[in-house]
Amino acid sequence: MATLEARGLTVTAGRGENVPKVLRELSFTVERGQVLGLVGESGAGKSMIGRVIGRSLPTGFRVASGSLLFEGQDLVGLPADRLTGLLGDRIAFIPQEPLTALNPVLTIGAQFGEHLERIGVPRGERRARAAAALKDVRLRDPDALLDLYPFQLSGGMCQRVLIAMAFASEPALIVADEPTTALDVSTQATVVQIIRRMQRDHGTALLFITHDLRLASRVCDDLLVLYAGDVVERGPAADVSAAPRHPYTRALQAANPPLAGTDRRLVTLPDQMPGISRFTALHGCRFAPRCPVADPTCATAVPPLEPVGTRHVVRCVGECLAKAAEATVAAPALVRGDARGETVLTVEGVSKHYPGKRDWLGRRGPGADAVKGADVTVAAGEFVGVVGESGSGKSTLAKLVMGLEEPTSGRIAIDGKPVIANDPASREIRLGALQMVFQDPQSALNPRRPVERLVTQSLEAPHHATTEAERLARARSLMLETGLSPDLLDRYPSQLSGGQKQRVNIARALCVTPRLLVADEIVSGLDVSVQAQILNLLLDLRAARGIGLLFISHDLAVVRYLCDRVMVMKNGDVVEAGPTEEVFSNPRHPYTRALMAAVPPEDPTVPWPPEVVES
Amino acid sequence: MSRIALQLLFRRVLLAIPILLCVSALVFVILRLLPADPVAMSLPPGATAEDLAKLRQAFGLDRSIPEQYLIWLGKLLTGDFGGSIYFRRPVLDLVSKALPATIELVFLGLVLGVALGVAGGLAMFAWRGRAGEQVLDLGTSGLMAIPEFLWAILLILVFGVALPILPFIGRLSPGLSLPPPVTGFLLLDSAITLRLDVLGSALRHMVLPATALAIGLAPLVMRVLRSSLMEVIQEDYITQARLRGIPEHTILVRHALKNAALPTISLIGVQGGFMFGGTVLVEMIFAFPGMGNLMVDAVRNHDLPVIQVVGLVYCVLVLAINAVVDVVYLMANPKLRTA
Repeated sequence: MATLEARGLTVTAGRGENVPKVLRELSFTVERGQVLGLVGESGAGKSMIGRVIGRSLPTGFRVASGSLLFEGQDLVGLPADRLTGLLGDRIAFIPQEPLTALNPVLTIGAQFGEHLERIGVPRGERRARAAAALKDVRLRDPDALLDLYPFQLSGGMCQRVLIAMAFASEPALIVADEPTTALDVSTQATVVQIIRRMQRDHGTALLFITHDLRLASRVCDDLLVLYAGDVVERGPAADVSAAPRHPYTRALQAANPPLAGTDRRLVTLPDQMPGISRFTALHGCRFAPRCPVADPTCATAVPPLEPVGTRHVVRCVGECLAKAAEATVAAPALVRGDARGETVLTVEGVSKHYPGKRDWLGRRGPGADAVKGADVTVAAGEFVGVVGESGSGKSTLAKLVMGLEEPTSGRIAIDGKPVIANDPASREIRLGALQMVFQDPQSALNPRRPVERLVTQSLEAPHHATTEAERLARARSLMLETGLSPDLLDRYPSQLSGGQKQRVNIARALCVTPRLLVADEIVSGLDVSVQAQILNLLLDLRAARGIGLLFISHDLAVVRYLCDRVMVMKNGDVVEAGPTEEVFSNPRHPYTRALMAAVPPEDPTVPWPPEVVES
Repeated sequence: MSRIALQLLFRRVLLAIPILLCVSALVFVILRLLPADPVAMSLPPGATAEDLAKLRQAFGLDRSIPEQYLIWLGKLLTGDFGGSIYFRRPVLDLVSKALPATIELVFLGLVLGVALGVAGGLAMFAWRGRAGEQVLDLGTSGLMAIPEFLWAILLILVFGVALPILPFIGRLSPGLSLPPPVTGFLLLDSAITLRLDVLGSALRHMVLPATALAIGLAPLVMRVLRSSLMEVIQEDYITQARLRGIPEHTILVRHALKNAALPTISLIGVQGGFMFGGTVLVEMIFAFPGMGNLMVDAVRNHDLPVIQVVGLVYCVLVLAINAVVDVVYLMANPKLRTA
């Protein structure tokens, strides 16, 4: 008997006749000790399965037909108390955001103890059991850890605690929904390895939900690719990743910049995944409007899942299958602009020290060095990447460059003119050359202003004195330049998709024609296919405008794709810097090597993840 | 109590010193600027101007205001609170009789208000989206729309007059002898000396005034707690607890309430200070012999030495309740406690 089996599972949103199906006829099986990966971008419906199991579907969503069998019993019709009896005991979850998944006012010990109480461990044994479980996920000093609160731990440590809790009852099934998305690269590798080892040791069936195809192919035995509620491809992980057959799976793979090999321009799909409200208007294959093959028969009827190999099925018709390869293989080589212009930004030996908090007697704590003596120059037309994990000081560097923070020492110059923070003259110099694009477009865009006002916000400065007509014309040209439809001009941010918001965010920075953009993690919140679109947009802007870029990111592959030079930061220190190709093909510093090793490699023969490091 | 809580308390006490100095100076100067002459009023009708001048000199009222203030402050610091002009008794005597009564009343009012508020907030949360919530919502709006002194009168009319089940005048039934003072607090003293008749009578006398005070607090606690619960219940850790099969009531008490309590505690701190102000009217209505009645009598008779001290005592009470609530907040929030 399979541990988990879905049979034609269909989830609808809303009531009535023509309701959108957010999951359509989903079928799969997960056997004991097996890992099934559910892969898809946001809106694909991959989190719905976990919600069906936990019976936590959003209001209005319901299972319309089909069944979800756990060890033979249908979870869909199971009485609530019997389901609650299974949850936490036979079925466990590993969440996406480890830091918010633990109660901030209870100690780790109290929460672990509660879970052990739930699964019937006697009071006297709980503490020892919890400590042993934490030791099992390679957490140091578990006894002391039990008395700490979640906010005193790092995200990676919290996730290990949650993994230990999930495995505590020896469950038959674990559902892990994006368990590493909120973590740093090196932590991700560690956490993946721990989950895999525990899963293998305990013979647990694992449902691994992720947006990352490359990661999934490393972790899972089988893969299931979802697009807009449909299974588009399903098969053994090795087969799917080595030879994806569906045009969407191919596109997903092609949108992910590689960490090695020759540079090709990323192939992007037009537009984005349709929202739920558009599902009912799509009568055939929901991918058809974006499909590079675009067989007209697909758009009229939903193609069936066709077998293409051993246990490997694809939702495609003949024409599509044959041409899918051609559509994505023809990616042109990446043209890197070598038109390095005049130096715009010079940063020399800049440091930032944050003094410690004063205690009640006014004595200062030790404080922290966020940036220690960083040197960087960026010229017009040059893309410079800053890579590091959280706490490496890369965002502080961006703030120092923009004058949002005052450096403790060192010198920053724009066009050779020295600038300081909080100074009107420096502000003028900065505004003439620099613009910043913020990480989270959601909070960076004022929700009460329409797109037209947002993108031309800079023109509101008194010295611009533009007329309304000029402003509208500028807005239109910016929209064109950033690949946005002019129809969106009077929309509000809440009416835009994530990718559109980030384009508006970039368009706004371009308004006063800066020569250098400072971009802090601007693609980290986006889906891979949208990320690829934004990356290509930045490259196009360089070709058209000769713009320079200081690009801050935790993602090595993205930096490699985009940047001419790169600097690697760790705990405020620049540990390595140089031309991108040189640094990535021959990393000198052990930290750079560790970072690169933490990224799942393209080559399936290279073993990954690397050995667990204790923390 | 942890070291960090003691530090906070110590900081609060240090901070209270300048605040109390400012308040005392303010009260003193304003009272001196009033066009009232308490000394002249306390003299018999046949007194001469010479008598008046003598008396003024005896009270030190012929000196400049700053001088008078410093003399008063100096005496205050040595424990001399002065004498009442109207009651012709030491101010310390009057305050030490009235203060325990008011503290007991506010304490009961707070306990009642918080208990009703928390119960109502939980009920509103449990009945969210149903008729019960709307009824409670409407009820709290009514409670808040009517000021507490009007509630006091309504309570008297209903429970004291229409169905006379509760007393509404004074602190004890007539004919009861007071227990020997141990702490000065009537409830405590009668409990310690096992005078249950006094304890019962005192409690019955406090039901209506304490309820009138609680009505000012309960609806606010209710609403803040309800909305914090609604927010907290959306949190990831609540979902995760459900996914671990933890029963719903355990989730509510152990996970949701502990987090939702934080904003409620801050609110109680603010409102608790206001409650002392509310005692003035409520004590007057119920003829309750506390600080409020003392204050009213003193103001009515231009009894400056009493007004000054009572004003200062109110200030100390508000600062104390804020400090206590801050410490409670700190203890309830590990993020602050371990910072």
